[in-house]
Amino acid sequence: MRLWRAVLLMNLALGLGLFVGYLAWGRQLVRLEQDLAAARQQAAVPRTWTVRGVVRAVLPQANVVILTHEDIPGFMGSMTMGFAVQDPRLYEGLDIGETVRFTLTGVLPNVVITAIERAGGGNP
Amino acid sequence: MTALGLAARWVHLVCGLGLLGLFSAELLAGRSERPTALRWTARIASLTRWLVVGVLASGVLTLGCQAVIVAGGSDAIRDPSMWLRLLTSSRFGTVWLVRHGLFLLLGVLILLRERERSRADAIAWRLEGWALGAVAMAAMAWAGHAAAVEPLGGIALLSDALHLVAAGTWLGALLPLALLLRAASTEAGADARPYAVLAIRRFSVLAAALMLVIITTGLWNAGAEAGTVPALIGTRYGGLLLVKIALLVAALALAVANRRLLPALSGDGVTVGRPAMLRLSRFIAGELALALLILGVAAALSLTVPALHESPRWPLSFRLSSDAVAASPVIRARLFIGAQLAFLGLLAVIIGALIRNKRGLVIGAGALAVVAGLGIALPPLAVDAYPTTYRRPTVAYEAVSIGHGMALYTTRCAPCHGAGGKGDGPGGAGLAKLPADLTAPHTGQHTAGDLFWWITHGIRASGMPPFGETLSEDERWDLINFLRALAAADEARALAPLVARGRPRLGAPDFTFAVGPAPSRSLKEFRGRWMVLLVLFSLPESRSRLDQLALAYREIEFSGTEVVAVPMDADPRIIARLGAAPPILFPVVTEGAAEIVRAYTLFTRTSESAPARHTEFLVDRQGYLRARWSPGSAAPPTWADVKTLRAEIQILDQEAPSGPPPGEHVH
Repeated sequence: MRLWRAVLLMNLALGLGLFVGYLAWGRQLVRLEQDLAAARQQAAVPRTWTVRGVVRAVLPQANVVILTHEDIPGFMGSMTMGFAVQDPRLYEGLDIGETVRFTLTGVLPNVVITAIERAGGGNP
Repeated sequence: MTALGLAARWVHLVCGLGLLGLFSAELLAGRSERPTALRWTARIASLTRWLVVGVLASGVLTLGCQAVIVAGGSDAIRDPSMWLRLLTSSRFGTVWLVRHGLFLLLGVLILLRERERSRADAIAWRLEGWALGAVAMAAMAWAGHAAAVEPLGGIALLSDALHLVAAGTWLGALLPLALLLRAASTEAGADARPYAVLAIRRFSVLAAALMLVIITTGLWNAGAEAGTVPALIGTRYGGLLLVKIALLVAALALAVANRRLLPALSGDGVTVGRPAMLRLSRFIAGELALALLILGVAAALSLTVPALHESPRWPLSFRLSSDAVAASPVIRARLFIGAQLAFLGLLAVIIGALIRNKRGLVIGAGALAVVAGLGIALPPLAVDAYPTTYRRPTVAYEAVSIGHGMALYTTRCAPCHGAGGKGDGPGGAGLAKLPADLTAPHTGQHTAGDLFWWITHGIRASGMPPFGETLSEDERWDLINFLRALAAADEARALAPLVARGRPRLGAPDFTFAVGPAPSRSLKEFRGRWMVLLVLFSLPESRSRLDQLALAYREIEFSGTEVVAVPMDADPRIIARLGAAPPILFPVVTEGAAEIVRAYTLFTRTSESAPARHTEFLVDRQGYLRARWSPGSAAPPTWADVKTLRAEIQILDQEAPSGPPPGEHVH
């Protein structure tokens, strides 16, 4: 075989290698997307979180308690946020500024507070 | 181990760049059937084989050294899983695999050499060899310091890659060309003389272009990794860089001398052409030796922390500062005259280099003018400097540090410098030189490193004692942060409810705070996204104002501003005390309030002496204090009407960011 042809062949092989690598990368992307879809499917089932927060406001007319809360893993970061409460009795006698441990239940993004437990005293 | 790693990198650079250059030299020379030329190409072919072996072996060694560095112990050499992990799951490994794959391919190409029959074969083989080598060497950029440059990382990579390819094409071609010239200068090699002369002429043109690329990309890389003058002369990396530049200048001087020999090459026969060829071949060998040294420095640089990430140690007893220029018209005049003289001198040197008659005279006079001009302009700009002048504070400018510094100041410094920093403490009265007024504008002209030196070592002539033994390094930085805040507080007197136009100067000290059990956040986290209305309040005076802000919160938040309310009494039960109506939904600090109040009270002072019980600060998106309001100051405009506040927020909202965010250090 002539040398220049051999060189050409070598470049072709290199190009082919690049192409195969590109395809492999694409396949990995597809797999990642599938994983993501599977994870989303899983998120559709009801989940429960229990986190701490400080009570900022109680709005009985809307059945909502507003809290400044910790990170809620997989749902939202720490912020001041109002949550619907399952049963008005849960926030009876709750004081502003009180630190509580509350439980959220539901299918994202429709969650409600199903339990509120006083974390003892006022603020830490 | 470091020595071995350094040697491996050096050999790798020499072999890899050498390969690149062997192919470029052969490309330049072209194909010839003359016996001497054939012998020369055969010699290069055997050299390429050795260099491929060298590059692969040193590559494996480099990988081993990297494994030891990553694992932190020499046991890693015998652990195959460590090697595998390094190769498959690090950027270094990926780049290594790609590069050595290309070198293996290059090895295969070299074995195919014997099939070369025609001109097409020759060109294809050489071009392919050069291209494979170039890509393999350029890829080094992706595993070096350039890959970590931010921002403009793409340009840094490109520049580093170009630098490598140009350097290889140049310095790798030196050895084969020197060999060719030597062969052609002998009696037996006379047949290859025209061939050699043509090759060296082509190389001379190419080398000039390559040098331009090497110098431009090299300067860009140096700027990206070192950046400032103190970093260049005050760090190990900078020092190595200077050595590299000096070696390159020497190589360039040699190259210029070589260029002058070119016309003599085609001179006739025994007396002119042949001796010139031999001399040129020796000079080129000298250039090669310098190039090898440069590669040694380059290998050391690749293993050294870039200057940007190190605190420079200033080696001189002075530095040049432009602060003096504004102060005196005499200095301005000297600077102007000196700069003009130096510029004219530089012009004369350039003209001298271009003309033929009286060249020495013109260049000499020009050089003299440059020296004289600099001698006139620079001395007034020199101010005292110390080894720590450019040391970067290791403690950030934030509320906690300022608070610590304040406490230290009260016990250690206030006796002489006075409680307010005016230099009027009782202890200073008897001293030969009065203690410095720390609030005077000149405080801002010293670097944090200057202050660090004085606090550490004292000032013997004035009675300022050294604190290096009694205060830890962090405590000294705390003090410096407090002094910075003290100077800033003086400037803060000018803050008004209306946002001042023009470039902001007052950086807001950073602080961290938490609301109840929520994780703590810092002021810095708001930078670039949110403006902050920082409210220092006291109950019961602030009650009605907080209600007002609570009702307006939705609108304030909507215009891109977060309200952070800090109780001045730092009561952790403050949210309960604020009560239910109206609901206050902005962050009310329950943790970190005391530190914030301590630092920011410095900034609440206006002309009245009594500290305000309620103060509001507006911090822009870059982290500068821009406006301030206190209910006590009755003069309009006031933020008592929230509309005025929102108008100021809108001004900040629509303003384009000017200049960088406030830095960590004084200045």
